[in-house]
Amino acid sequence: MECCNFSRVTSRRDLLARAGYGLGAAALHALLGGAKAHAEPTDARVTFPNFTPKAKRVIFLFQAGGPSHLDLLDYKPQMKDRFNQDIPASVFGTQRITGMVAQQDRFPVVPTMWGFRQYGESGQWLSELLPHTGRAADEICVLRGMYTEAINHDPAITFIQTGSQLPGRPSMGSWIDYGLGSENENLPAFVVLNSLPSNGQPDQGLLSRLWGAGFLPGRYQGVQFRGGGDPVLHLSNPPGITREMRRSQLDALGALNRELHDRAGDPEIETRIAQYEMAFRMQTSVPELANTSQEPDHIYELYGDDARKPGTFAANCLLARRLAERGVRFIQLYHRGWDHHGGLTDKLPVLARDTDRASAGLIVDLKQRGLLDDTLVIWGGEFGRTPYAQGAVKPDSYGRDHHGRVFSLWMAGGGVKRGYSHGQSDDYGFNVAEGGVHIHDLQATVLHLLGIDHTKLTYLFQGRQFRLVVGVLYSFKYATYSHLPKLKWPYARGSEDELEANNDVAAAGSSDDAGRSTEFPRCRLRTVC
Amino acid sequence: MVVNRFWQQLFGLGLLKQSVGGPSVYPYQPADLYKGIVVAAGYPGTKYVESTGDGLYRRSLYTFWKRTVPHPTLNVLDAPDREVCIVRRSTTNTPLQALTLLNDPIFVEAARKLAERVMTEGGKSPDARLTLAFRLATGHSPNERELNILRDALGKMLAAFQKDDAGARRLIQVGAAKSDSSIPAAELAAWTAVANIILNMDETITKG
Repeated sequence: MECCNFSRVTSRRDLLARAGYGLGAAALHALLGGAKAHAEPTDARVTFPNFTPKAKRVIFLFQAGGPSHLDLLDYKPQMKDRFNQDIPASVFGTQRITGMVAQQDRFPVVPTMWGFRQYGESGQWLSELLPHTGRAADEICVLRGMYTEAINHDPAITFIQTGSQLPGRPSMGSWIDYGLGSENENLPAFVVLNSLPSNGQPDQGLLSRLWGAGFLPGRYQGVQFRGGGDPVLHLSNPPGITREMRRSQLDALGALNRELHDRAGDPEIETRIAQYEMAFRMQTSVPELANTSQEPDHIYELYGDDARKPGTFAANCLLARRLAERGVRFIQLYHRGWDHHGGLTDKLPVLARDTDRASAGLIVDLKQRGLLDDTLVIWGGEFGRTPYAQGAVKPDSYGRDHHGRVFSLWMAGGGVKRGYSHGQSDDYGFNVAEGGVHIHDLQATVLHLLGIDHTKLTYLFQGRQFRLVVGVLYSFKYATYSHLPKLKWPYARGSEDELEANNDVAAAGSSDDAGRSTEFPRCRLRTVC
Repeated sequence: MVVNRFWQQLFGLGLLKQSVGGPSVYPYQPADLYKGIVVAAGYPGTKYVESTGDGLYRRSLYTFWKRTVPHPTLNVLDAPDREVCIVRRSTTNTPLQALTLLNDPIFVEAARKLAERVMTEGGKSPDARLTLAFRLATGHSPNERELNILRDALGKMLAAFQKDDAGARRLIQVGAAKSDSSIPAAELAAWTAVANIILNMDETITKG
């Protein structure tokens, strides 16, 4: 052992890895080792945030299945007079339709059966199904020009969560945890909470890879908190082992590990000792977090009665606030059951009731605690729903198919404009009319609000630097030109020449409207990187 | 995979089924894990029915792989999600791993089996038994300081369980494999708790 004393300072692998950044950086890394050790970008020369962040944390209230923008957030009075008329071909364009409506011989317009009204001083137009969201209308920013590339659930959810339609990429929460690290030593930085709709019809499954770390180290995966049993898997000691006994076990374990550390000098051993201690602290911090019994009645009043039932969306919203208070970086909720191909008119009110009051309550609650300023809240699904009916069409009974060419979602807090709306759909709520926001734009925006330059948050995998936001220029470009009636879609893109031309335009540009550099490698479109 | 090493290297022909091939198995998994994620009923594979007998003790290679909800123990210990090719598995070091390796029934049961083994094969003296357990886990004998730490821990565990026989019985009933009834409950529980420590040492987990 005497021959290799240097290994007591740092492992050979670490030394070699850090030599490239100079020993100063290595020493700095060691000095900063404490609380920040959790975040470790591949390139030690880049630190995050890159600029002053507006948001410190994110609560993503994800509505899985595709909520109908036309019945909730996007008021289209123009559709009223067009009931059962065919969508004009000029609007329909090259719409890629799903297998579920491929057999339909026509695509008749069906306007929403619900009334819309203006809420708040901002006069935000929202459906009567969202009265509570209406009360928070002056806090939210509705994006009515959202668009995505996918038309089915799994690719679309994977896209909005990971930036790619293909599985295997890290979730947005994992990227952000990887870049910014944790603010609480006793809780994971990326927490996931799931809920089922109260009508018991979740429609689709979820996949745990949606909150997976992909190719990032496994520590960045989202930790699912559960409504029943242990909030975190294996949180409780085995039967018969008391907390005092566990303490003695960990004392002995720590001593044994330190013994090995003195002998072998591997810094990972110190990390392991620290992680076992964090596990021990989590055994008290997590139940304390999950126990909402001390919350006063007026708080339950904000979120609604459901908040008293563990595992509901409302209860999860309340937990989200408690997680935000404790500095958890990314809080991801999933509420399922928005996939209303048929019977939308029966199902949508249930789903709206499940989520409306609690979502608005969360905003109010965050605001009264001064947390809304630096907490970004996002409410929305993977896509919207078609203005045309799926199946039989009646004014008060209809269904709608998946629709990605335009849809709506809202954001609040964390540097987002209050009582504002961005973007518009056309008269049919079918295409983006102006202010289009591609999924990648949304992701770049989230990172931007957190103070992260989306081009700098990268991870070296299989020989190249990957990042969350893949072809952002591509979307900026389309966002910029999206006032044109015909959107160019990847699948309707036409010839390779046209693709080349697009690339040339892209490569030649120096900056977009927002002044961001648009000089990206030309390979962007084909080798999604 | 640490699970396999535990079963294969430590316990040899004890619990682990050594045959090759066969259908997937369903080892211990927390209840209701599919709830809220997997679509209920109608589809195949929507229920997790735990294996019995040998099916609980196979290499994780044989663990049923559900893509929507992979087995959480594999997940937390860096098993790739099988969506893309992985040349090198990432190795991480997290509190969730600590909770799993300390509390997951499969590891608590493994600790009890290790305890039973050293109590039958390790001679009468506690030092000899501790030395055997340590050697089985790491491949070398403990030094004097390590032995002291373990001896001290054993004393504390024994004292605690002798005051709490019911707790001792609950601990040694974790897992489907029957516990050795010839060993007094408090003693077996104390040795299980110490084996639990040994199986969680960094050296056991990463250097074994």
